[in-house]
Amino acid sequence: MLKLTRGAYALPETSLAFKTGDWRDQQHPRHYHYVAPCHNACPAGEDAQAYLAKVAENNPRAAWETLVAINPLPAIAGRICHHPCETACNRGAYDEPIAIHGVERYLGDQAIAEGWDYPLLEKPGPEVAEVAIIGAGPAGLSAAYHLLRLGYHPVVFDALNEPGGTLRTGIPPYRLPAEVTSAETERLLASGIEWMPNYRLGSRIHLDDLRQSYAAIILAPGTMKAREWSVGGVIPPGLHQGIELLKEWMDVGRVPNIESAAVVGGGNTAVDAARVLKRGGVKEVHIITHNGMPGSDADPSDVMRAIPREVEQAQEEGILIHSHRGVQRLIMHGNRVIGLEMVHMKKFPDARGRLVRKAFEGTETVMHIQQVFAATGQMVDQYGLEIILDGKSYFQTDYWGRMSSHSGIFVAGDAREDSIGMMSAAVGDGHRAAQAVHAFLQGSELSQPMARSVVEVDRLNLNYFEPFARARHPILPVEKRLGEEEIEGSLSGNQVHDESVRCFSCGNCMACDNCWTLCPDQAVLKTRELASDGSHYVFDYDFCKGCGLCAHECPTGFILMEDE
Amino acid sequence: MGISVSAKQSASAAALRQRQPRFEGLAAGHRACQGCGQALAARLVMEAAGPDVMIANATGCLEIFTTPWPQSAWRVPWIHSLFENAPAVASGMEAALKAKGQSSKVLAFGGDGSTFDIGFQALSGMIERDHNILYVCYDNEAYMNTGIQRSSSTPHSAATTTSPAGLKRMGKRHLKKDIISIVAAHHMPYAATASVAYPQDIRIKVRRAMEIEGPTFLLIHSPCPLGWKHEGSQSIEVGRLAVQTGLFPLIELERGELIGVMPLRQVLPVRRYLEIQGRFNHLFKDEVRAMEELAHLQALAAHNVEKYGLQSHGADPLDSEGADTVRRGGIMRG
Repeated sequence: MLKLTRGAYALPETSLAFKTGDWRDQQHPRHYHYVAPCHNACPAGEDAQAYLAKVAENNPRAAWETLVAINPLPAIAGRICHHPCETACNRGAYDEPIAIHGVERYLGDQAIAEGWDYPLLEKPGPEVAEVAIIGAGPAGLSAAYHLLRLGYHPVVFDALNEPGGTLRTGIPPYRLPAEVTSAETERLLASGIEWMPNYRLGSRIHLDDLRQSYAAIILAPGTMKAREWSVGGVIPPGLHQGIELLKEWMDVGRVPNIESAAVVGGGNTAVDAARVLKRGGVKEVHIITHNGMPGSDADPSDVMRAIPREVEQAQEEGILIHSHRGVQRLIMHGNRVIGLEMVHMKKFPDARGRLVRKAFEGTETVMHIQQVFAATGQMVDQYGLEIILDGKSYFQTDYWGRMSSHSGIFVAGDAREDSIGMMSAAVGDGHRAAQAVHAFLQGSELSQPMARSVVEVDRLNLNYFEPFARARHPILPVEKRLGEEEIEGSLSGNQVHDESVRCFSCGNCMACDNCWTLCPDQAVLKTRELASDGSHYVFDYDFCKGCGLCAHECPTGFILMEDE
Repeated sequence: MGISVSAKQSASAAALRQRQPRFEGLAAGHRACQGCGQALAARLVMEAAGPDVMIANATGCLEIFTTPWPQSAWRVPWIHSLFENAPAVASGMEAALKAKGQSSKVLAFGGDGSTFDIGFQALSGMIERDHNILYVCYDNEAYMNTGIQRSSSTPHSAATTTSPAGLKRMGKRHLKKDIISIVAAHHMPYAATASVAYPQDIRIKVRRAMEIEGPTFLLIHSPCPLGWKHEGSQSIEVGRLAVQTGLFPLIELERGELIGVMPLRQVLPVRRYLEIQGRFNHLFKDEVRAMEELAHLQALAAHNVEKYGLQSHGADPLDSEGADTVRRGGIMRG
C-alpha cells in the first residue's frame, strides 16, 4: 500500500478486531421456541402452527403427515372439533383467528382423496406384544394408532360392525357425513390395526379373558348410556332419551310423529336432538337449559356446553332456546305428557363455595308440548365392566389413563371421569394411554409434561402483519337444511393456502430476516446450516452490544432478551 | 452453501461472517451506541450501493465510530473530510475519477449538523456544479457526538443541551429546517427522504439514486437512543412512528417536483411518537403551554399530511402499513 506522508490511514475491516460484545451490560438475545397458543389449547396436542407452515410452503402432504403424527383423524376432527385452537389464536386479537379447523379438514380430505399412507409405520413382527383396545371411537382408534407407531400390535374390539363409536351413533350426518367417518377410520385401521367388529364386551369377550391373552388393555367404551333424569326424584313416565332419538334417526331416519317437543339439556346431544326433531318434521322444538347462552362476555363456567357454532346454527333453524331455565314438573294427562312447568334458575355458590342452582319463585311458566327428551349427560354402560367400574358412572384415572387399583388396564376417552366430552380430548387421551402402555410394558417411568410458556399476543410485533379476512367456508342455507346434507362446506385449496400465510407463527422463526436486516452491529448472521434451533440465524455474541432491537422487532416473539 | 458436519463444528462465526448473502460495506466492530439508527442506516445504504463506490465522510458520529485509528469498519475506499466540506471533497474525488476514466460512484455522507448547518454551502455548490454524487444525510436531529447540541434539523420543542426545556422555553423554539425542499429547489434530478424503519424503501431509493448520472440527495431519519432518550431496542419503533404520525414524511422529488410519497394507511396521533422519547418529556406535563406545544406538533404533522397528500385511499402494498411487512396476510402475498 502507498505510504502516506501526512494524516493516518487504516486497513479495511480492521474494526473486526474490536469485539464490541463486551459492551453488553446485562442481557443478550436468545432464540426461544415458546409454544403457540393454538398448540397449547389443543386437547389432542396438535401443533397447528407446524402444519400451517408446511401448507404455506405448498407442501400439503408434509402438513398432513405432521398433523397425523398427533391426530390420525383430521377429516373428522376438522368437522366436529370445538377447535379451542381458534379461540386461543393470537390473530383473534388482531383481526380474526386462523380457520385452523378448515385447514385440518382440507388436509384430512386430501389424504383420503389422494390415498396418502399414514407415515412412519413399521409393521410389527410376530414377537411384538399385543394390546387389546375396547371401543373403536376416537379414543380407541387414537390409542391403537399410537401403539402401532410405538411398535405394538393393537387389536381393536367393538360392539358394532363399523368403526367410529359415538362418531357414528351420536353425531348426525349434517355435522359429520358417515362416508367421511368410514373413509378415515377404515384407512386408519388398514394401516396395521387388527379390527374385531361385533365383539361386545360381556357377551362375546370378557375382561378376564382379555387379561390372560393380551399384554395390556385400553378401555375406550365411551359413555353410551343416558344419565337418569328425574323431576323431584321421580322419573316421569313417557320421558324419552336424546341419545336414543339420535340413534334411531341415524339408523332409520325417523323421529316421533308429533307437533311439538322440548329437549332438556345444554350439551351437543341436546342441540343435535333438537335439530334432528326439526328435520324430522316437528314444528315447534324447544331447548331448556340451566346454563347461559354462549357469547364473548358470558361466564365460561355458566355457558351451555354445546359448541357455540352449533347453538347458533340451531337457532337459525328455528329452535327456541330457553337459557337459565329448569323444569319443575311435567304436566301429564293420564300417562301422556301435555306440557311442562319451567322456572328461571341460576347458579350461585353455596356455603362451601360449590355452584348450585337456585330457582326463582314467581317465575314459573307453563309450556304446552307433546314430548320431552332428556339430554342431561351420559355415563359408561356398566355391561361387562361391572368388576372394575365398581358401581361408578365413570373411571377414575390419572393423567395417563392409569387406574390405581388395576395394573395393566388403561382408560381413554369419554369414559374417564375428567373427560370434557370432546372428540379432540378423546384423541389426546388415546395418545397418552398408548404412551402409558408403552411405559408399563417397558417398565419405564412417565414424566408429567412440564408447564409450557405460551406466546402471548403482546410478545408479537404486529407492525409486520397486515389485516386479511379469514376464509369463509360455504354454509348450507337454512331452507335447505332438511336432511342429512352437510351444513358446512370445505375450504378451497387457495383459501387453505391463504389461511396458512395468515398464521403469525407465534414463538417460531419464519425466516423473515428482520433480525438480520435490523441489527445495527451486524451481530446476527444468517445461516440455514448452523442454526440448530429451527431458525435461520445465529447471534455473534463477539459483536452483539445487547441493544435488544432484534427482540423488539421480531414479529413472532422468537427472540428474548435474557440475563447472561 | 452446503458444508460437511465436521466443517459445521469448526466453522466459526468469523467464517460465517464472510459468507453472508449481502454486501456489508460497513463491517462489525464499529463503536456506535447500542441500538444506533445511523449505524444501521449506513449499512443499509452500503448494502444497496454495492462495492464499487468511494466515500467522503464529514465529521460526525458516523466518522467517529467507524474509524478509531488504526481501525476502520469500512470495506470500500473512504476518506474523512472536515465537518464543512464533505461535498467539496466528494466533488474533487468525482472529478479525479472522471479524469482517470474510472466509473466508481462517489458517495458523500454527513449528519444533519454538517448537512443542514456547517457544510450547507458546500452541498449547494456540489449540486449546482452537477457532480455525479449521491449525498446521504443521516438525520438524527442534533449534534450527537459532541453532546446533543441543537442543530437546524432539531424538531420544534425537542430538548437538547443547548435548547433545554425549562421555565422560559419548551425545548427548541425554532422549527426543523425544510432541507429537502431547499435541496430540491436546485432543480436537481432526485431528492428523497427515507427512514431506517423502512429498510426496503431505503434500498429502493438508494438504487434509484445510483442509477442517476448527476447529483442526488437522500435524507434518512435515523433515531438516536442517546440524544432522543429512548431505549436502544426502540430505535425502529420510534422511526416507524415518526413516519406513521406524519412528522417525518417519506417523499421523492425530481426536478423539484413531488413524484411520490409513502402513503399513510392510518395516521397516528403525534403523542404516540413523542411519548416514548425523553427529549419530549416536558410536553406531557400538566401545563397549558405543554398542551399548546403538543397541539402545535400535531398541527405540523397535519400540515405535512395535507401538503404531501399522505393519507392513503385504500390499502396500498407500499404504504406505511404494507411496506416491510413479512407478508403474513396483507394485499401482496406470495
